[in-house]
Amino acid sequence: MSDVAIPNFGGKRVLVVEDEPVVAMCLEDILEGLGCVTIGPASRLAEGLALAEGKDGIDAAILDINLGGEWSTSIAAALVGRGVPFAFASGYGNPPEGFEGPPMIEKPYREAEVVAALRVLLT
Amino acid sequence: MPPPNPQESVDAPLPVGEDEFRLIADSAPVAVWVTRLDRRRSFVNRAYAEFVGLPYDEALEFDWREIVHPDDAARLLQESIAGEASLKTFELVGRYRRHDGVWKWLHSTSQPRWDRDGNHAGFIGVAHDVTEAKEGELALREREAQLSAFIGQATAGFGQVDLDGRFTLVNDRFCEIAGWSREELLTKTMLDITHPDDSGRNAGLFDRAVRDGTPYTHEKRYVRKDGSEVWVNNSVSVIRRPDGEPFGVLAISLDVTARRNAEESLRKGEETLRLAVEGAGMATWELDLTTMEGGWSPNRFDLLGLRRTPDLRGTVDDWLDRVAPDDREMVREACYRCFRHGIPYTIDYRIRRADNGEERWLQSHGSRVADSGGGPRRFVGVSIDITERKRAEEKLRRSEESVRLAAAGAGMATWELDLPSMEGGWSANRFDLLGLRRTPDLRGSVDDWLERIVPEDRAEARSAVFRCFELGEPYAIEYRIRRADTGEERWLRSHGSRIADSAGGPRRFVGISFDITEHKRAEGELRESEARFRTIFEQANDFLITTTLDQKVTQVNPAVLAALGYTEEELVGRPISDFMDPDQFEISRAAVAQKLANGGATRLTLAVRAKDGRELIWETNSRLTIDEQGQPTGLHAIGRDVTQAKRDEAHLRLLIDELNHRVKNTLAIVQGIAQQTFKAGVEPIAARRAFEGRLAALSEAHNLLTREHWGPVSMAQIIGDAVMPHGGDAGRFELDGPDLPIAPKTAISLALAIHELATNAVKYGAISRPEGKVAISWEKIGTRAAPRLSLVWIERGGPEVVVPAKRGFGTRMIERGLAAELGGTVKIAFEPGGLVCVVDAPLPEVGPPEVGS
Repeated sequence: MSDVAIPNFGGKRVLVVEDEPVVAMCLEDILEGLGCVTIGPASRLAEGLALAEGKDGIDAAILDINLGGEWSTSIAAALVGRGVPFAFASGYGNPPEGFEGPPMIEKPYREAEVVAALRVLLT
Repeated sequence: MPPPNPQESVDAPLPVGEDEFRLIADSAPVAVWVTRLDRRRSFVNRAYAEFVGLPYDEALEFDWREIVHPDDAARLLQESIAGEASLKTFELVGRYRRHDGVWKWLHSTSQPRWDRDGNHAGFIGVAHDVTEAKEGELALREREAQLSAFIGQATAGFGQVDLDGRFTLVNDRFCEIAGWSREELLTKTMLDITHPDDSGRNAGLFDRAVRDGTPYTHEKRYVRKDGSEVWVNNSVSVIRRPDGEPFGVLAISLDVTARRNAEESLRKGEETLRLAVEGAGMATWELDLTTMEGGWSPNRFDLLGLRRTPDLRGTVDDWLDRVAPDDREMVREACYRCFRHGIPYTIDYRIRRADNGEERWLQSHGSRVADSGGGPRRFVGVSIDITERKRAEEKLRRSEESVRLAAAGAGMATWELDLPSMEGGWSANRFDLLGLRRTPDLRGSVDDWLERIVPEDRAEARSAVFRCFELGEPYAIEYRIRRADTGEERWLRSHGSRIADSAGGPRRFVGISFDITEHKRAEGELRESEARFRTIFEQANDFLITTTLDQKVTQVNPAVLAALGYTEEELVGRPISDFMDPDQFEISRAAVAQKLANGGATRLTLAVRAKDGRELIWETNSRLTIDEQGQPTGLHAIGRDVTQAKRDEAHLRLLIDELNHRVKNTLAIVQGIAQQTFKAGVEPIAARRAFEGRLAALSEAHNLLTREHWGPVSMAQIIGDAVMPHGGDAGRFELDGPDLPIAPKTAISLALAIHELATNAVKYGAISRPEGKVAISWEKIGTRAAPRLSLVWIERGGPEVVVPAKRGFGTRMIERGLAAELGGTVKIAFEPGGLVCVVDAPLPEVGPPEVGS
């Protein structure tokens, strides 16, 4: 995939839920490079849930499955309720039960994978 | 293997449990069964089922009393009840009807069995077919009875003497003829009652007979107790054992006094006498020894099958021509000796009748009669047909012989004993049986036999045999002997009985013995293998369980009891669903259905419940128990506890998942650090150094976490480690705060943040000057219910602080990353006197390590 093919997701608001600060920063930078606006990043379940249920517009979300021992499924459920598309991110394993549909992004984050997931979510 | 009886009764563990025993038991040529305390059978082997002709499960339930011979039924029932009550090994011998209707003698041995607590648990029985031996024994008894009756009821007297001439056996008729009571006779020799004039000749004949076995017939006088004389005709033969050794002499005595008197009368009144004699069936002839002319009575012609000549003349040669060639010389000699020397004779010999060629036995007496002048003038002979008597004698001899031959042929060694004298003989094979050398006279004493018996068994054998001698109790005993020749130990079975004479007095003892070592060995091996398998069953660490087809427990070994904490009583008879959750039972039930459909074995991992509610994970391998008709009768399973293994496996799985998680997470962090460090516009060498420093800080934090097994780590420690590479060891950093525990994930972020602060201090801040210092202090503030962390980083003595034009990774990491991680606020202030960083965050309770010890 060449640079030319990178789509412009300009202005798209993407919720990031990622508990590892350095990793969250990394994802934030990737999204910034794609022209997206990062909502968050949220590092805790409660924080992520508040953003997901908040009034701010969200076009898509990337959810780390394991948030320091808590599962991000309740955030996923809230997003489903709002009709917001999302992708799960995980270093290992499978999507949580009941959420087999959304795309999976394998950590560490790579730009190409984030792009592929966003293309599914935003187009 | 499971007894297919789902009875409620409590069964001790079957002595054996597995297919191998069934195989052994089934291949045994004897019937084997196991009973429980309630007297029901819990196992029968193939031979048993075959005997009764029923499938396994029916053979188990089947009532043996139905097939007992009516003559044995009462006795067997009584003996079996007494045997069971004794709680000792007991034996039964009786007739049972095989499924095809044939009566079989079975010799059964029932041995009590005990559970591991020493409680009686039933019996294990073994029965072998002893029909052949029993029938042999019965045939022997029958023949003996026949023989005894034959002798007792005979019109002839029978007198048996030993080789020394002592009477050993006399029948009533003999006593009558001889004129002495039986008791008196049995204390005498035959010469004691023989007329002195006859005894010399008698002794000669007797000795010759004993020496070379020649039978003889002679006439002599007995002197009766009342002093009178009786003429007897004795047909004497030597009695031999099957190997041919003589052990006695038998005389068949006929009272010939009447004939003798007749002969005497002959000399007195020839004519009247002849008539009398002829009337008595005797044929006579006379001869004038001077002229050798003579005449025969008409019936003498008839006797020889010759035509009567008109003048009734017959010659010596006419007569000798008819005598059988084998006997002719003997007859001629006796005859001419009488003619010449006057020696009277009595001879038995065979003739062949001239008319029909029939062979007949004749007995002839001849004597020379002195004339009135005293010279030898005339010869008088009398002949009588004794064919019938001879045949009777022969039949008797054969009958007696056949008894002995039959006994030897059946592998039985016999011995006989004359009880008054305690003298007796053994059959030749009895010597062989004991490994003794055969003695020439085949004599063997009770002591010879007892000496061969092993000391442990000797007293019992002695007692049995003497009770038999004295009280007439027949016995059947089994005992061990040590062979005299090879020293080998053998098992013998002996029967003995006392035979009453016709007057009812104890006279003789007859014993038979046969070698039962092989039986005993087979029985011993069976017991041994049973014991071996019992040991395996009881001592196996693995679980051995049998159930009915509807999965009710029939047997368990002690390992099962120990694992589950139940007693045997609590387990046996209950459905296995009582010991597992419904989902687990469903798995087991499905496996049974699968085996019933497809056969084979199933291997399952099941969770079972111990009595105290603990869940145990068992791996089981179970199979259907199949009877000989191929019908499933139950299930048997072997299992082992894999609870710990499963727990370990789950733990390991968790560890691997966690490790994977951490590796991926760490890589993500490294990726993030790299991405932040190598941003466009950063000088490559500086970027590389910064990257190395950050990785080192990350690595140091990991070291600490690893040391602490990913449990909570000390805040002082994580901060101390982070500042160490930047001069922490030179006292440039002053740390002051309590030893608060922090979570591993937080520790990494804290370490990276402190690293960024320290790096900045070294490059641009307080540590860039020799006198500069950094004070790091922290404390726990807030309420007990909502504790908070307050951490302050203050730099002093550094150059004047310049607010950076743009904020790099470090600042971002500290202000945003650490703040997000801590869930609080982190503020950096570029005060002119030195950088100040203030952290304010909730201080959550820190749990134990996620994984690991």
